[in-house]
Amino acid sequence: MSEIKKHDTPLVDQLKTGPWPSFVDDIYIYAEKYKKQTCFDIMGQLELSYKNKETHWKHGGIVGVFGYGGGVIGRYSDQQEQFPAVWAFHTVRVHQPGGKWYHTSYLKKLCDLWDHRGSGIVNFHGSTGDIILLGTVTEQLEYIFFDLTHQLKQDLGGSGSNLRTPSSCMGKSRCQWSCIDTMAIEYELSMEFQDEIHRPSFPYKFKIKVSGCPIDCVAAIARADLSIIGTWVDDIRIDQEAVRAYVGGELKPGGNSHSDRDWGPFDIKKEVIELCPTQCMYWDENEKKLYINNKECNRCMHCMAVMPEALWPGTDTGATILMGSKAPILEGAQLSSVIVPFMRMEPPYDELKEVTRKAWDFWMEVGKNRERLGELIQRIGLNRFITEVLGLPAVPQHIREPRSNPYVFWKEEEVPGGWTRDAAEFRKRHPA
Amino acid sequence: MEKEELKQKIIEVIEKKIKIAGKSKVYLKDLQKDIPGVSPRDIKNAANELVREGKLEYFSTGSTVMFGIPGVGMGLEAGTEKPKEE
Ligand code: SF4
Ligand code: SF4
Repeated sequence: MSEIKKHDTPLVDQLKTGPWPSFVDDIYIYAEKYKKQTCFDIMGQLELSYKNKETHWKHGGIVGVFGYGGGVIGRYSDQQEQFPAVWAFHTVRVHQPGGKWYHTSYLKKLCDLWDHRGSGIVNFHGSTGDIILLGTVTEQLEYIFFDLTHQLKQDLGGSGSNLRTPSSCMGKSRCQWSCIDTMAIEYELSMEFQDEIHRPSFPYKFKIKVSGCPIDCVAAIARADLSIIGTWVDDIRIDQEAVRAYVGGELKPGGNSHSDRDWGPFDIKKEVIELCPTQCMYWDENEKKLYINNKECNRCMHCMAVMPEALWPGTDTGATILMGSKAPILEGAQLSSVIVPFMRMEPPYDELKEVTRKAWDFWMEVGKNRERLGELIQRIGLNRFITEVLGLPAVPQHIREPRSNPYVFWKEEEVPGGWTRDAAEFRKRHPA
Repeated sequence: MEKEELKQKIIEVIEKKIKIAGKSKVYLKDLQKDIPGVSPRDIKNAANELVREGKLEYFSTGSTVMFGIPGVGMGLEAGTEKPKEE
């Protein structure tokens, strides 16, 4: 093996001076220890990009291992003379387990694999949720895939115009707020839609995210074409004893997360009642009792986050199904819109699969190249998408304002006699 | 349309695009436009089967995927070759 060649990286080195641990330190420590030319070259190329203020990666190329249309993102340097060790620096997306739980022995094995067959640089996790293995060459891909699937029992994730790796919050495995079994849903959808994950199927990418409650830890509402968010239809459970303990100061609000300084005594009126967005809560000072008008509650979770030991989501649970969020490439960023206000989440989740497939079929048929589902919904109109495409009834939850419509629009077939009327007869009674 | 017939048609569409428009990579949507009356799902399945058979190959930008005929146009290695070892 030839000598290790290091590059001067004064601009990149400045990142080490900030208050946080720096990837620059991490990569250099690793590079020195294992004498990894790839790591030195990647820093060299990064320095050059900082200097020129432009990327030195070519775009496009290899997508995966044999038979897979996703999971690997090809990257090729346009500075191959200077940085030969990163002539190819492909990214491998690995399908993360539900809720992102790992056994340390698995992580050790994965690191060994990547030390051996890649740059050693990893990213836990990418914004879609996958484990990201950064930097390998084409010849290694099939070996990596074989080791991943046979030894680590792990599959590649999605990239390109595929279903991207579904992701979920940890849900019932750890969180008392979870209204649905997020990890089971993620697993079931991943297995059901294997073909869509591994074979290009769509006009553009499609992401599915599952959050157990409206706190929405995986940001499903903002970052998924299909957002599944746990909710409940009965009443918020109240432990009045615990509410009184918060008011009396024995329990610390927000799980004591604001203990860094003295914010004064807890004020239930200021910190909970008045912040309830629908004004549906009432604290009776004399009775020392909390009332909630559950019909008006919009499940924002604020009160529960402040008094987690006193308030809990109801027990009659399911999910709200939303569609269409995306980042701002076209038309600006969009949040998902409510499609089904409440759906039961029982395995095998047939209703969910059905509505998903209906949306896909329409999008595959009518969507334009690189048009996200949210853009398509905007183009044809949410009302048409819900009623005509998905065949679902229009309900007040589909709109924010006004929930009670003062205007009524009739279609001709709904009006006896249609639109034809005798104008002369009308004018007799109403002169122009 | 029978599956084999559809696969043949897909190859024809791509070959035509190479000849006429000089385009070596196509999106699934392009295939759909040129093969009307067939469900997008069937086209997808046929195109993916052609990849398994080695008659087509994928080409990705990371955000989308295109289909091409192996060896035509920009290859999987994006027109780059691994530098020769000294
Ligand atoms: S989204 Fe809700 S259920 Fe899931 S981890 Fe966050 S708070 Fe818990
Ligand atoms: S969840 Fe939100 S809307 Fe519902 S009662 Fe609590 S603060 Fe009010």
